[in-house]
Amino acid sequence: VKIGRGTRGLLAVVMSIGLLAAACSDDDDDSGVEAGGATTASGGATTETTAAATGTAGGELIDLATFPADPPEHIDPALNETVDAYQVINSLYDGLTDIDTTDPANPVVKPLVAEKFEANADATVWTFTIKKGLTFSDGEPVVPTSFQRAWNRAGEPEFAGPYSYLLNFIEGGAERLDGTAETISGIKADDTAMTLEVTMSEPYSNFPAVAGFQLFFPMPSAVEKLTSQNDWENGLMIGNGPFMMEKPRSDTEIVLVRNPKWAGNIYGDKQALLDKITFKVSADVDSAYNAFEAGEGDTATIPAGRFKEADDKWGTTLGTTVISSYHFEINDKDPQVGGAKNLELRRAISLSINRDEINDAIWDGYRKVATSITPPGIPGFKEGLCTEFCSYDPDAAKEHLQAWKDAGNTQTTPVKVLLNAGSGHEDIVNIIVDNMKAVGIDAVSDPRPTETYFTELADGACVLCRSGWTADYPTYDNYMYDLFHTDAIGGNNHGQYSNPEFDALVDEAKSTVDLAKQAELFQSAESILLNDDMAVIPIAWRVGDYAFNDQKVVNLKTSNLELINWEQISLK
Amino acid sequence: MFSYAVRRILLIIPTVFAALSFLFVLFFLLPGDPATLIAGGAERNIDPGVLERVQDRYGLNDSVATQFGNYWERTIQFDLGESYRTRRGVNDLIGDRAVNSVRLASWAIIIEVIVGISVGLLSALRRYSIWDKVTTVVTAVASAVPVFVLGFILQYLFAVLPNEWNWPTWARLRTQGLGPDSWSLFLIPRGDQWRYLLLPAVTLASVTTALAARMTRGSMLEVLRADYMRTARAKGLRERSVVMRHGLRNAMLPVITLLGIDFGTAIGVAVLTETTFAWPGLGSTIADSVIERDLPVLLGLTLVVILVYAVINVLVDLSYAWFDPRIRYGKGSEP
Repeated sequence: VKIGRGTRGLLAVVMSIGLLAAACSDDDDDSGVEAGGATTASGGATTETTAAATGTAGGELIDLATFPADPPEHIDPALNETVDAYQVINSLYDGLTDIDTTDPANPVVKPLVAEKFEANADATVWTFTIKKGLTFSDGEPVVPTSFQRAWNRAGEPEFAGPYSYLLNFIEGGAERLDGTAETISGIKADDTAMTLEVTMSEPYSNFPAVAGFQLFFPMPSAVEKLTSQNDWENGLMIGNGPFMMEKPRSDTEIVLVRNPKWAGNIYGDKQALLDKITFKVSADVDSAYNAFEAGEGDTATIPAGRFKEADDKWGTTLGTTVISSYHFEINDKDPQVGGAKNLELRRAISLSINRDEINDAIWDGYRKVATSITPPGIPGFKEGLCTEFCSYDPDAAKEHLQAWKDAGNTQTTPVKVLLNAGSGHEDIVNIIVDNMKAVGIDAVSDPRPTETYFTELADGACVLCRSGWTADYPTYDNYMYDLFHTDAIGGNNHGQYSNPEFDALVDEAKSTVDLAKQAELFQSAESILLNDDMAVIPIAWRVGDYAFNDQKVVNLKTSNLELINWEQISLK
Repeated sequence: MFSYAVRRILLIIPTVFAALSFLFVLFFLLPGDPATLIAGGAERNIDPGVLERVQDRYGLNDSVATQFGNYWERTIQFDLGESYRTRRGVNDLIGDRAVNSVRLASWAIIIEVIVGISVGLLSALRRYSIWDKVTTVVTAVASAVPVFVLGFILQYLFAVLPNEWNWPTWARLRTQGLGPDSWSLFLIPRGDQWRYLLLPAVTLASVTTALAARMTRGSMLEVLRADYMRTARAKGLRERSVVMRHGLRNAMLPVITLLGIDFGTAIGVAVLTETTFAWPGLGSTIADSVIERDLPVLLGLTLVVILVYAVINVLVDLSYAWFDPRIRYGKGSEP
């Protein structure tokens, strides 16, 4: 999923195998909600979402952290692509499954609205049995049809959002998306037997993990009465999650209240503790942090340069290593920086960037300087994949720039470095622009509104553009396939990178069951991406960036997929 | 006077038409067409597929003339269209935002009038005194400090610190948002509202108040030397009456013009103040719409600003007559 605030990109569609296969295959007799397992910290990550929260019920939390710069573009699960809005959506809806990240190194898919799920022998047909007696907040029962309705809706060609490609996993999904079919043929909903039978377009052992993602959240029959599906997110969206909307969203706030009809989560919580959450929309990270310190809210995004101060003074999520990368994408089709002829220039740019300086100046050294795009926490991760061009070496940068010039290239206009404005990226881009100028590459910062930034990138606006990606699900292909495969052009591959050799390696890795072999293939692919093509510039791996008033707020934790379990938070 | 007022008001119509048409044409004269700009900038080659997707999404395939005709046809019927980006009706957006802008701007102008004019007046009357020197420095600094810096400092001094020092609630000003949105007589903040209003209003007023003070001082000094002031004193009027009735009233003409312009500016381009304080007004929305090439929003909101400017200008012109009885409109040339 995209990170509007710090990084971007969530829906790491879980296409990989292995990791989940174990979790899914013996989940057949999992029934009901499981109480969370033991807390395990691993690899420095201290994600502790765990057993049911114990706290006093009641009170209102005012959040200034989730939308510090702009209102979210979308809060409809079928349309959203940012982590920020996913925080709201995840509080409003429950999916068939959820991912237990108690042990960050070993995430487990558990049934949530489903009672159980099972596949046929070759994982081409998945059957979800839905729990009886669950309802939406308006009292309408949650039944298999609720899911069928939602998925058909998400595939409506005029409406479909950036993650709609996930429907291609299902038989008939492609036809629905291109408008040749009214419904997705691979879904059979039986409300009497309470089963949802999903036929895959290809064998897919990880589908239960994907089925818990926001695009697959259920929808009540109210959506069928709308003149335009775009109206849903601007009205009173009805869901089945721990919270429900108090009133339609506005440009200034989104207000959620406890949903008394909620059935509980995978950790054993039976009701949300807070009465109310108000997500306030601010216009600027620094001002929002001032408001937090003035007592106007309970949480805030930590502004650039104030990580240490915030950590000393408040509760923070800085201790959680999220599976998330902060990087700059490069438009491969851009005549100035893209393509094979500008490879040396891209190398010069990457070598000119002083990542340690950025980490110290902006994040007080809390993040880790990246040596690849794929962050630690992803199975198969290997440190130091970007061998030559991801470290700071201004002299080498000048040599590569000279090589680029010697090949007959000249720079006529400054390289535009795009960023979403007001979200705390200005200072980082300024350092990068200075770094580039110091080796002789003219560059200029090009701020765009956060609200539509990623839509612009998907439309092809990127030159050198700030980006980030938090795993939707911890798999290697969530980085390699979703961000850089030719299939993802028009989706999350903003740089429109396309290399058949890279694609072939990723495709092979996705279908490789042997985990060691699979990791090796992904690493080879990433090596091409970084060393041979320099198609993206890694900067840092992220940590959580919420500050909260720990005198008042209890149990605010972020998972390493960067989602907060808002229903577990209570007030002192 | 009446017919003059009517004529001036009718003149607003061609003014609005010309201004919006100019903006409309300018929009299409910018380097590249809007679709290209939306897709990524003027100096680059855009993938044709991308361009087509953008054009489809934003409905930009019609000729400019057709779009222009359609635009006016809708505008005359008070339908300002919907945003390219959010698909929200521009009329709704104006309803939400314009009122907030007018309130904030009104308070900024009230501060400007009270503080700016009194400071300027005192400086002029006590020329070269310590007071005059101090205000000269302070006003120079106030007009030089960037709005977001001032806003940030004010937030820290009047919201963050009072909170840390546990001052009573009423003494902790607020930094973000519109607040409870409760008003009496449209303009008077009710209940908690003033705590939200004060800092953005002061910030927005800072630069213009300094200018108003400088201008009042200069204008007043000129007037104080005028012959009619000596005459007024010679008639035996009290000094207070001389200064206020004969002096200040005459010195106000250029200041009134400045106030009129300031009010329009405060409504239309208070971008930084609105951003710093998350005040949902017109300025920041217009700025976003320019960057995003969101034509319907840009034109719709600009229409409001132009209308406000035009009406304020009429009021300013009419007020001249009150401030300077020698000015009489609509009577032709009298001997």
